[in-house]
Amino acid sequence: MKCEIRGVVVIGGGPAGLAAALSAVEAGCRDVLLLERDIRLGGILNQCIHDGFGLHAFGEALSGPEYAARYIDRVRTHDIEVRTGSMVLSLSRDRVLEVSSRNGYGTIRADAVVLAMGCRERTREALSIPGARPSGIYTAGAAQNLMNLENILPGRRAVILGSGDIGLIMARRMVLEGASVEGVYEVLPYASGLPRNLRQCLDDYGIPLHLSTTVTEVLGKGRLEGVVVSRVDESRSPIPGTEREVPCDVLLLSVGLIPENELARGCGISLDFRTGGAVVDETFMTDVPGVFACGNALHVHDLVDWVSVEASEAGREAADWAVAFRRGREPEVPVSLPVKAGEGVRYVLPGRLRGGRDAVLSLRVLAPGRDRDVILRVEGRDVLRRTFPRVHPAEMLRLAVPGSDLPPGGVVEVVSS
Amino acid sequence: MERRYDVLIAGGGVVGCAIARELSRYRVRTALLDRERDVGLGTSCRNSGVLHSGINYTPGTLRARLAVEGNRRMHALCRDLRVKCRTIGKLTVAQDEEDTATLARLLEQGIANGVPGLRIIGQEEMRRLQPGVEGIRALHSPSSGIVSPYALTVALAENAVTNGVHVHLGQEVLEIRPRLPEDGGGFVVRTAAGDRFIALVVVNAAGVFADRIAALAGIPGFRIYPCRGEYYVLDRRFDGVLRTLVYPAPRPHHPGLGIHLTPTVDGNILIGPSAEYVEDPGDLACTAAILRKLQEKGRGLLPDLAGADFIRSFAGIRAKQSPPEEGGTRDYIIEDHKDVKGFINLVGIESPGLTASPAIAVMVAEMVGHHLPLEEKETFVSCREGRREFFCELAPEEKAALVAEDPDYGEVVCRCEGITRREVLDALANPLGARTLVSLKYRARVTMGRCQGGFCLPRIVRILRDEFGYDPEDYFLRGDSSPLFVGKVREDAVLRTSVFAEGVRP
Amino acid sequence: MSGARLPSHLKFLCVVCPNGCDLVVAVEGTSPPKVLDVTGHRCPRGVDYAVSEVERPLRSIASSVRVRGGEMSLASVRTDRPIPLESVFGVMEEIRRCVAEAPVRIGDVLLENPAGTGCRILATRNVEHLEKRGCQRG
Repeated sequence: MKCEIRGVVVIGGGPAGLAAALSAVEAGCRDVLLLERDIRLGGILNQCIHDGFGLHAFGEALSGPEYAARYIDRVRTHDIEVRTGSMVLSLSRDRVLEVSSRNGYGTIRADAVVLAMGCRERTREALSIPGARPSGIYTAGAAQNLMNLENILPGRRAVILGSGDIGLIMARRMVLEGASVEGVYEVLPYASGLPRNLRQCLDDYGIPLHLSTTVTEVLGKGRLEGVVVSRVDESRSPIPGTEREVPCDVLLLSVGLIPENELARGCGISLDFRTGGAVVDETFMTDVPGVFACGNALHVHDLVDWVSVEASEAGREAADWAVAFRRGREPEVPVSLPVKAGEGVRYVLPGRLRGGRDAVLSLRVLAPGRDRDVILRVEGRDVLRRTFPRVHPAEMLRLAVPGSDLPPGGVVEVVSS
Repeated sequence: MERRYDVLIAGGGVVGCAIARELSRYRVRTALLDRERDVGLGTSCRNSGVLHSGINYTPGTLRARLAVEGNRRMHALCRDLRVKCRTIGKLTVAQDEEDTATLARLLEQGIANGVPGLRIIGQEEMRRLQPGVEGIRALHSPSSGIVSPYALTVALAENAVTNGVHVHLGQEVLEIRPRLPEDGGGFVVRTAAGDRFIALVVVNAAGVFADRIAALAGIPGFRIYPCRGEYYVLDRRFDGVLRTLVYPAPRPHHPGLGIHLTPTVDGNILIGPSAEYVEDPGDLACTAAILRKLQEKGRGLLPDLAGADFIRSFAGIRAKQSPPEEGGTRDYIIEDHKDVKGFINLVGIESPGLTASPAIAVMVAEMVGHHLPLEEKETFVSCREGRREFFCELAPEEKAALVAEDPDYGEVVCRCEGITRREVLDALANPLGARTLVSLKYRARVTMGRCQGGFCLPRIVRILRDEFGYDPEDYFLRGDSSPLFVGKVREDAVLRTSVFAEGVRP
Repeated sequence: MSGARLPSHLKFLCVVCPNGCDLVVAVEGTSPPKVLDVTGHRCPRGVDYAVSEVERPLRSIASSVRVRGGEMSLASVRTDRPIPLESVFGVMEEIRRCVAEAPVRIGDVLLENPAGTGCRILATRNVEHLEKRGCQRG
């Protein structure tokens, strides 16, 4: 059985993995291996044919495949070994990967690992939507894959549950392909997707958005025939008497993304229940030495441009670690303290800080609002304050903090008011 | 189409398939009919997968005798058929003195039924067998276990086919007419697909539809009361938490055995089943109230449970003979009907039907022997080819060797369950020709993981397209009424991939 | 979009910059509608956006074009510039009828001036020729 010893191994060839691999080789690592389970690089971008990618990174409104191509082209011109069709089945605490592909099954012992596996979609089952089990129920991403990559139309009369961007994008996609969308139903009292998408995917085509409403039953013995929707109260419980049947032949679910954390779990990496991904410090290292995480596998992003920035950082750190490790000096892991997500803030990433260096904190607020202050507190003192004209839970905020404001050992809290 | 057989079995659940496999030992031309596009799609694939010991049944009843005998026969059967079966034992737990009295009664009952190894044990030993179990004492039945109900049903059917049984799917029985002795006797069976079957003996193994089949044969007076049980499936990360089965001491008039946690041979935990009488024997919907109750129960027993850990819910229907007012469970009816000659009638085979199936099969074969000579076949193949474990459960060196020999083992199709392309291809090549998504699921476990097909569905779509030339209209969830898709996004885009291995199919 | 009488005040978010001003636009209910007044903006770009959105909304769209002889049956495409919302379905009609031959490269112009919009439909994915991919799988 083949057992290799490698430098930086990046798991995942989507935008995060591509940027991390590039950055690792640019940081001086001579042995960078990129493992991608699909037959081509690009990850989820391959099926995201709509535009809006790269506004920050390239100043252009590119589609997903085009954005991916920019990175893939650069990866090809650098000294990075790429293996597609290769799936990592497990990862151990001492950085041994079990990898399987048509070319063979074996293990790789890595100096450093970057987890960049992206995320998966929440399912109907996880929502416990009662009712029958007909065919015709898909997560929005699965439908997107089927339509854009496999040339398959999942249905002609759609109901969409969840007003996240994927659901909105798919609403428009269905309409443009001649299907009808009966409505988008959102359990919260506000929409989760970007306002631009609400306008250009729903308003443009007269698709109604029903807030504080959810699907409470699925109908149809063989193929989906319809759903029952009900209004919900503040605690998201269905209000009896508000049930309404909506005929449809396909139900698309856009109800949340979950970072891929199977490998992390198997490795014993501590996960943050708020993000679903690993707990990392500002070097993007998890609590398993030499294992780094970035991209949607770490926390679900809304703009791929920031995925690339974050992953570049992680790749660089992984390369530094790998180089030090090769020289026979496994770097010491400095102490880090948990960062507190205080009032108004759902999570802050990184979840731990060593301090003493510049950092960019990513965060999400709990509720939408205008002219909201985000305040960084160290040891109880307000150290940094930034006002954002518009905030929304769906939109990640980034706070650049100079190292001088982050003393090592200082307890950090971020609040939003 | 008219086909002639010695025996026709109506109903391809685990019992019907077990009977078919048993009859395939003999020179008896046997047909197995099922209304669905695969075997086992009724209750057989929708239950707890428990191998019962026999303590719960009144001595002298068929249920008691067949459960104990079935349990005994199950191990060799599963070994031969390469089906996972684990004898993990069971604790029936008492919370109070009333329960303790029940345990004493069960112990006595079990001994009378011939159940081996029964003991009442105290808390310390209980906790050693199952850390964290609550209760004052328990009845330990070491012969209880768990088996994969869908793997078993499929394996029985496929082994039966290997041994000459004809399985006819998509054949709902509409008419059963006895033939006069001068015309040859037996029955003419007509199906919804318009086919006719002539058989000397008909076996009614139709489960929740057994009353309908009996009525068609001119035997009124049976009525099945469908009683639905809902379940949750938990994420495999809880594999190992339950080392043995743990049941609460039963309450007398409950129509089932109560909601509990059951580990499965594939590493999941099931919560359930509930028990609710329903009108329609095909009503497999899950209800909000019961799902909530199952979640509460689960959280009470496993405080670590998060919402995302409830990965799937499903329901199965018990074929109860007892109406709601009566409750409880009546004994099985397995009879060589005295008036309708050649009609072997099985009614009310609810729990422990899975456990009892090997013993029921032997009993029914004996009844068939009263109508036909049973000559053993020298060519009977009792063992099924293939591996019991999935690729992902093998040792690393074995995996490496397999992939080196066959690259299809190196390509993972279902990421959550670790299923490879080779295993999917093998499952699709099954002798029943069953190629719906559900058929693939029950043979290869794809879509049964936490992402419920999010990763593997497009890959399965591609495999069926590349290997079998499927167009969007050819994909079904379970049968003709559940197509997966409605068509192409762009017509006339002829996709031919070059990715066939040597030996391209036309 | 259907030409029905509009309410006299429209409210929507300006997406030109992260400020996200809440625009209130007074509109005359003609068909096509005409902007009478814009408030809520913090800069003149908001006014331009409001007028554009009400009188002549422009959109980029993305879709798929069938490919003949390729390793994939579809090439993703998009408009190279925003086009009037009212011509979207006309453009989709032409996209639906279009067939491209493999190989297709990102940036290939697959359609010129669909529905008289003056835009070009560009391929956004590379689709190799079928034979070239060979027996690679996995």
